[in-house]
Amino acid sequence: MPSLKGLSLKGVVAGYGGGNVLQGVDLSCAEGTVTCIVGPNGAGKSTVLRVISGLLRSSAGEITLDGDRVDGLSPEDVLRLGITQVPQSHALFPAMTVQENVLMGGYLIRRDRTLLQERMAMVRSRIPIVADRSHDIAGNLSGGQRRMVEMARCLMLDPKLMLLDEPSLGLDPRSLAAVADLIDELNQSGTTVLLVEQNVRLGLGLATHGVVMEGGKVRLTGTAAEVKDNPEIAALYLGGSATPASAEGPPVSAASSAPSPSTGPVPGP
Amino acid sequence: MTQLLQALVLGLLIGGVYALMASGLALIFGVMRIINIAQGALLILVAMFTWWMWRETGIDPILASVVTTPLMFGFGWILYRTVISRIRDQSASMSVLLTFGFALVVEGVLNVVAGNRFRSATPFYFAESFTVGPISLPKTQVYGFVAAVLVLAALYLVLTRTWTGRAIRATSQNPSGAALVGVGAAGTAALAFALGTATTGVGGSILSVLYPFFPASHYDWISRLLGIVVLGGMGSLPGAMVGALILGLAETLTATYGGLRWSTLVFYLVIMLVLLFRPQGLFGAKLREDAA
Repeated sequence: MPSLKGLSLKGVVAGYGGGNVLQGVDLSCAEGTVTCIVGPNGAGKSTVLRVISGLLRSSAGEITLDGDRVDGLSPEDVLRLGITQVPQSHALFPAMTVQENVLMGGYLIRRDRTLLQERMAMVRSRIPIVADRSHDIAGNLSGGQRRMVEMARCLMLDPKLMLLDEPSLGLDPRSLAAVADLIDELNQSGTTVLLVEQNVRLGLGLATHGVVMEGGKVRLTGTAAEVKDNPEIAALYLGGSATPASAEGPPVSAASSAPSPSTGPVPGP
Repeated sequence: MTQLLQALVLGLLIGGVYALMASGLALIFGVMRIINIAQGALLILVAMFTWWMWRETGIDPILASVVTTPLMFGFGWILYRTVISRIRDQSASMSVLLTFGFALVVEGVLNVVAGNRFRSATPFYFAESFTVGPISLPKTQVYGFVAAVLVLAALYLVLTRTWTGRAIRATSQNPSGAALVGVGAAGTAALAFALGTATTGVGGSILSVLYPFFPASHYDWISRLLGIVVLGGMGSLPGAMVGALILGLAETLTATYGGLRWSTLVFYLVIMLVLLFRPQGLFGAKLREDAA
């Protein structure tokens, strides 16, 4: 199989000491796509992001970005490859100002002051809250504002791949719309996005591709529409509201432990 | 009235010195969640070294901090890399055991090398005072305060104006968030520990002039420092500053109006009351995020 331009996980196994949470994850995100991982609690969705960003070491398997090995690298080296992550919560430095928080996103390019200033100007123009609330203490922002600052901080490194863990968590509809717009804008500008979302309808609505995880394995992949239209996914996560099935993937079985035959690289756009 | 004014000014002067001494403890706890019980022993170690330098060379004890501060920075770096880093992922209580053990080693070595008797550096201005109106300000306390404020200002500039300082603050506020922007945890922790230990360089040199000391004095000093950081909020540098000024004032006022023997009780009383009624300290839970 030819290697894709983008992210690829093959047979990734990882855990926190009390057993493996990821039990051989195979997953690909082609360059420029927005891929959403959905699945029940404990499926290993956030763990996938932690393994990619280097916060958690995998014990087996291979992770690559544009053919470069990612697994085994420190979080700092993963950042240098162009992968940034917005975790589920508490990513900011609460006692620092908004400006300082965003500036810390450029920690790795701190010695290139011109580049740092250019990136800061770019981020301020793309995400207005960075300019509007620059001297406010980050810990006093609302959940939606914090999420925007977290994403702004990631943009300081002009990432190839952005990992977003539950971007909708705790947000009101207005903040949610702003976050969704930003994800869409990122996609338009060519940034690859891999996001994890409990809100399946929202997540798949934002994404070009979908991945369903269960029990530490990938059960189904396809375009976002295919995953959304899969009758079992609809029954399990969307209250059975999807139209029955044009899905190419087989039904998802909560009981089955065998890998789905449809598991494999998500095609590019 | 003059007596009250005198007590207040002296309280502020000594509070400034306490602030410097406690800032190291707060910094180390803030970044690494390590309760460095050895901070008091390191103060006494430096005080002893300063006293020895003063006796042998006549060098001014407070100016000696120009030597002792970089020495203690290096000592802190090595101590972290060789000993403290081994318990990096352990609980805070493990750090108490380890650093208490280290404090006992320092005390034992000082007992063997220097003997178990009180010492105090007494430079030529030891008994002199500045007179401002009705108030008399001992020169040792004024010089000690000035040195402490200068070092605190330098520490503030390092923490707020440099990338190293921002990395230290980021790690203290959110270690995993700091890792996500590329701040290396091990290097930052070693730097923070070294900076925290460096404050004992200045603090110990000042202590050698302001207070008589002997090897076991570190128990008294670590109690005072813990009282300050508990009052301010563990790990909060601004909290340590405010806590130090409050306790400096409380100690002096107690000594003035209640008698010298009651003044040290203030620290223990504060630890007890804070833990009972506001365990997060003065500077705990002031952000919307903390309250959520």
